[in-house]
This record gives sequence, C-alpha cells and structure tokens, in this order.
Amino acid sequence: MLYRASLLAACLILSACTQWRFNLGSPLKKLELPPESVTYLSEVLVMLGPPQRISASDGGYVLAWEHWHVKENALGFSLGLLGADFMSIDVGDMYAKGEFLLATFDREHRLSSVSRSTWDNRGGGGRAVQPFFSFVDVVETGDLVGRLPQHRWGASMLQRLPEALNDGSDPDAGENGLEQRGTPPNVGQRSLEMH
Amino acid sequence: MKTRSLLLSLACALLLAGCAQYDNQRGVEVSWRESATRDLVRGQSTRADVLALLGPPSQVIALGEETALYYLFEHSEGEGLILILYNRMRINTRYDRAIFFFDDNDVLTEYATQINERD
Repeated sequence: MLYRASLLAACLILSACTQWRFNLGSPLKKLELPPESVTYLSEVLVMLGPPQRISASDGGYVLAWEHWHVKENALGFSLGLLGADFMSIDVGDMYAKGEFLLATFDREHRLSSVSRSTWDNRGGGGRAVQPFFSFVDVVETGDLVGRLPQHRWGASMLQRLPEALNDGSDPDAGENGLEQRGTPPNVGQRSLEMH
Repeated sequence: MKTRSLLLSLACALLLAGCAQYDNQRGVEVSWRESATRDLVRGQSTRADVLALLGPPSQVIALGEETALYYLFEHSEGEGLILILYNRMRINTRYDRAIFFFDDNDVLTEYATQINERD
C-alpha cells in the first residue's frame, strides 16, 4: 500500500515531460552545377524548384532554399505534494538541425555565387525555479518556427512605427536582401526597429 | 484486490490521456497546378496572363524594370499525444510555391512551381 502511494505521489510530483518536433520544408536536393559553364536562373529553378526566400539586390537576385528540423524538450516538476505548492522547477533544451542554400544571380540571370551550410546544434535551453506558475519559458523557439515573411509583405507599412520607418532596409520586403531564421534583430538591417 | 488496483490504474490512465490535432493554412490558394500552368509559354505569356490565371500573388519583387511574382501557400499539420506525464507534439510544415519572372516588357522569362504531396 505504501509502495503504491509512493508511486502515485512520485507521478504527481514529476508533473510533465513535453517534447515538440517542428519540421519545416523538405530536405534540399544537391545542386549539381555543370563544370566550366555558365548556369542560368532557369536551370537552377528546374533543379531546386521555387525558392523559399527571394530578394532583389543591386546586382540582381538573391534566392534561398531552406530546411529546418527543430526539437524542443521540456521537463517540469511541481513540488506541491512536498508542501511547497508555491514553487515549480523547469528544465528545457532545444536542438536545431537544418540546411540553407543561397544563390545569387546577376541582372542577366547568370548564377554568380552559391553557398550552402548545414548545421546540427544545440540552440539553447535553461533551468528555472519559479513561484506558483512557470512565468518564464526556459526554451525559446518562436524565432525559428515562424511563418515565412511573404505572408506579411502587403502589411509591411502597417507595422508599428519603428518597423514601418525601417521598411527601406527590411529583409522581409523582398527588395533589400534576405535573412535566415533566427537572425538576431538587434544588429544589422533590423537594428532601427528597436526590438 | 490486485485486479481492482490494476483496473483503477488503467481507468486513471485513460481518463488522463488525450490527443491533439493541429492544422493551419496560410497564403494564397494553390492554383498553379500543372493543368493550369501548362499554357504559359516563356517569351510569349505576359504578366497579365499569369495574374489572370493565378490571381494576386503573395509578394511582388522589382529589380529595375523587371518584376517577379511569388505565390506561397503554407500548410502546417500537427498531431500530439497528451499523457499528462509525457506529452509529445509533432508539427510538419510544407510550402507550396510558384515564382514567375518578367522582363521590362512584362513578358514571362522564367518560372517554376512546386506542390508538395499531401500525406
């Protein structure tokens, strides 16, 4: 009886383990470039399909394809049954795996550069002892799993004032370059947006 | 007694278990299927043809006199298992998209489309 009661108490004390898995897009195909010949935009589009991100630039176009896999693990303990119902303990971790292919084209639609990166990293995490509720998230994935910026394109001038004033440098506008998911907004082209 | 405890535990587990399903769709309607775009001809079709066929795009990109129309449909599907002590959520997002480039005379120069298969 004591054993069962202890088991039940342990289950209630260990309140929850939560796992989130985000899969964004499809794995990228390898870009096979013909040796020593000029490659055109049309050929790259045939090989890779439409890009997820695109922007005009002074010299031509910038196109990007991406695939992300984000894992978030969180473990929460409640100490209520130990008499400390004003306290909770949270532990969390996040891992991000992905690939990003960036291709630039000149004004004649000739491929001028290709860059590819892959990564499999721990993206952060934390531990917290918090009163009553979990006020602070110990794992933050919002900036990695958000929607693509094309959905917000038409509303770019209707944002709050610092962001609307920065429209001329906004990487989401499609005219001023582009950025990867998770790029810190406090530096570079978004620094005027005062995040 | 043991059977009763076992049944009670099983009942508790079933009562506390749950599942979740999530579906989210954003963007323009996927009207760029092969059957719709097969009549587009590079060097002949115009921007007006594409707009008449597919409607307003998600984004318009301008480079000097050139323009590009970008169409995007984003579809997220998620499913979750909620067992109170252990919860698991899995969300898959796919992007159906199409892009069309036009020269300074509004004539179609290049285009590409992609529609992901539904699970």
